[in-house]
Amino acid sequence: MSDKPDAERKLPVVSEVPGDLRLADIPLRETVELVRFDLPAGQVESLLERGMLPGCSVCPVRRSPSGDPIVSIDGSLLALRREMAGCICVRRLTDPDL
Amino acid sequence: MPPTSPLDAASAAAPVPPGRRPLVALVGPPNSGKSTLFNRLTGLRQKVANYPGVTVEKHVGRIVLDGGAELDLVDLPGVNGFSARTLDERVTRDVLEGRTGLPSPDAIVLIVDVTRLEAQLMLCEPILEVGVPTLLVLNMADELERRGGDLDERVLARELEVDVVRAAARTGRGLDRVHTFLHHVHQRGPLPERPSPAVSNTPARGVALPTVDAFARRRRHVERVTALAGYRRAGPSRLTERLDSVLLHRVFGPLTFLAVVLLVFQAIFTWATPLMDGVEWLVATSGGWIGGALPDGWVRSLLVDGVWAGVGSVLVFLPQILILFLFLGILEDSGYMARAAVIADRLMYRVGLQGRAFLPLLSAYACAIPAILSARTVEDERDRLATIFVAPFMTCSARLPVYALLIAAFIPEGPILGPFLGARAATLLGLYLLGALAAIVTAWILKRTLLRGEPSAFVMELPSYRIPSLRSLGLRLLERTRIFLRRAGRIILGVTVVLWVLTQVPAQNGAAPPIEESVLGRAGQVVEPVIAPLGFDWKIGIGLISSLAAREVIVGTLGTLAGVDDAGEDSLELQEALQEQLDLGGALALLVFFAFALQCLSTVAVMRRETAGWKWPILQFSYMLALAWIGAFIVNRLV
Repeated sequence: MSDKPDAERKLPVVSEVPGDLRLADIPLRETVELVRFDLPAGQVESLLERGMLPGCSVCPVRRSPSGDPIVSIDGSLLALRREMAGCICVRRLTDPDL
Repeated sequence: MPPTSPLDAASAAAPVPPGRRPLVALVGPPNSGKSTLFNRLTGLRQKVANYPGVTVEKHVGRIVLDGGAELDLVDLPGVNGFSARTLDERVTRDVLEGRTGLPSPDAIVLIVDVTRLEAQLMLCEPILEVGVPTLLVLNMADELERRGGDLDERVLARELEVDVVRAAARTGRGLDRVHTFLHHVHQRGPLPERPSPAVSNTPARGVALPTVDAFARRRRHVERVTALAGYRRAGPSRLTERLDSVLLHRVFGPLTFLAVVLLVFQAIFTWATPLMDGVEWLVATSGGWIGGALPDGWVRSLLVDGVWAGVGSVLVFLPQILILFLFLGILEDSGYMARAAVIADRLMYRVGLQGRAFLPLLSAYACAIPAILSARTVEDERDRLATIFVAPFMTCSARLPVYALLIAAFIPEGPILGPFLGARAATLLGLYLLGALAAIVTAWILKRTLLRGEPSAFVMELPSYRIPSLRSLGLRLLERTRIFLRRAGRIILGVTVVLWVLTQVPAQNGAAPPIEESVLGRAGQVVEPVIAPLGFDWKIGIGLISSLAAREVIVGTLGTLAGVDDAGEDSLELQEALQEQLDLGGALALLVFFAFALQCLSTVAVMRRETAGWKWPILQFSYMLALAWIGAFIVNRLV
């Protein structure tokens, strides 16, 4: 889609600086902590309502056939689009900063 | 029972409006077993209506307790919150706030899936703010225990200050405790009138917080409470993991998906055919009996050719609709539909739709009406509009008799791909693809013009796989069928009777005129100049007008015009009559016209309801008609 908001055009950068690591970059089976969302308010709310909150543990458990992430959160399975997962900032649980 | 709300004391003293049954609202997230509990509590004593102004169905059932006490139970749509972003959330909020014509609820039953307690308990706080007695049903407790989870529901009850019951709605476990709660609600009677509470994602009291912070605060509360209650999460569902590793597999996932789609197609077309033939035969035979029992005259004609034929053209769809609903019900209740939506999402996202549009568009191959109704699950309003706008392009079953007749009359059978694909089958396949292509292009255009905006969110919850319960399937089948009959039936019947009247006037010597001199015949002649460039004469014009009742009606009309008795799509006489009336170009043009045009007033009526106005149905009808005319014109010129 050509008319994406700016946040979605940003390429996910793999980095250990907290906040720059995106959910889309996390390998399967690694549990990370959700930090914040770089998403429009409406999209954030639909994530919040399904239990995706800053501070929660998220774990990508599977990829859909098209390569989009399926994550586990509090025992629920949520399917996201990879564009969205690229706008969700996470933190490694093993980070020295913690 | 512990005191559940500050209103308890007030309701004892205040006068109660007499003669009203207490109203209980059933609230819960999607896939929490809400409908199962609703069906358990009300059985067949339910009715479906629409909320004023909005299009979400209102399910109200009557609960009759032991001893004859009666309460009303309203089943609210499954919601994850109260942001009012979706129709479902808006309706839930409005009912809880008492703004839908129903009284404000006198009690609330909040049902959650206890295997996912933390996320689901997020609904609890906004619900408690409503301030009425509330029962928290921890559903799917059997699954929690089987998967090694546990909690102390008494601590939960104490901390949240609500009644809590561990339950399994599917097996009926915990139902007695729900009944006890309802007994108490009944004894207390309806609550007196009070100011409406405000239900939202952000708390009404205290300092206004940004949504994220409101959720975070609520979440901390939920975590504290569940920790106190010693909540031990259920282990992962092995069955779900194993099934997902196949059904969402890179290769087997899409293959299973295709197999499921083909199975549904096979069911609604092949398996439904003998049943539909049976219904047709029944209607024709019974029409014959009625005709035989009545004296010749306009009364007989009205009953047999108007009313009975109208009833018949509705009933003939019924087997197909039932089979479609049965399959969709199984797919939904088993948990596969969410996976199918995920698999379809990437493809649909490219054309401007989303995965949740998959179910409506699949249904549209049987009939656009259930498709448009089921598009309510599409969360984003622009996505929903785009979905219901393009749904009628899918080749619905009412187009099939028309296609079958024209293809049999005009396309000579011959091999195209050896023994695999004949010319006739290829034409039919081409018409299906043509419809799908029009839908794709239209959705793409819409999302770049009228419905443009930020790309929508797609967050799909994948519930654990479950074996569907027959009881729920059966009740839902009944209910959806009732809705279909009411929505489509009334209009088809009405239009058929009106068309019958138009063939009867102006009367000549007290009898019906020859059809070309009737009002309908004249109308056919009036539109002839418009359709002549497509290769159609006035008789086809009459057929096109009459097919607005339901597309397949054109077969019968053309039969009447050709003077053929018992015209069906396989009638050779009718095929010969058509061959004199149309050339190949005209026939192909007619096929294309039917592929595109919205020849179905029931769909228009349903669109008006679902979009709460005339703008979208008028736009859709004109757009599809224009496309049909242009398409037919081009084809007629080319051939």
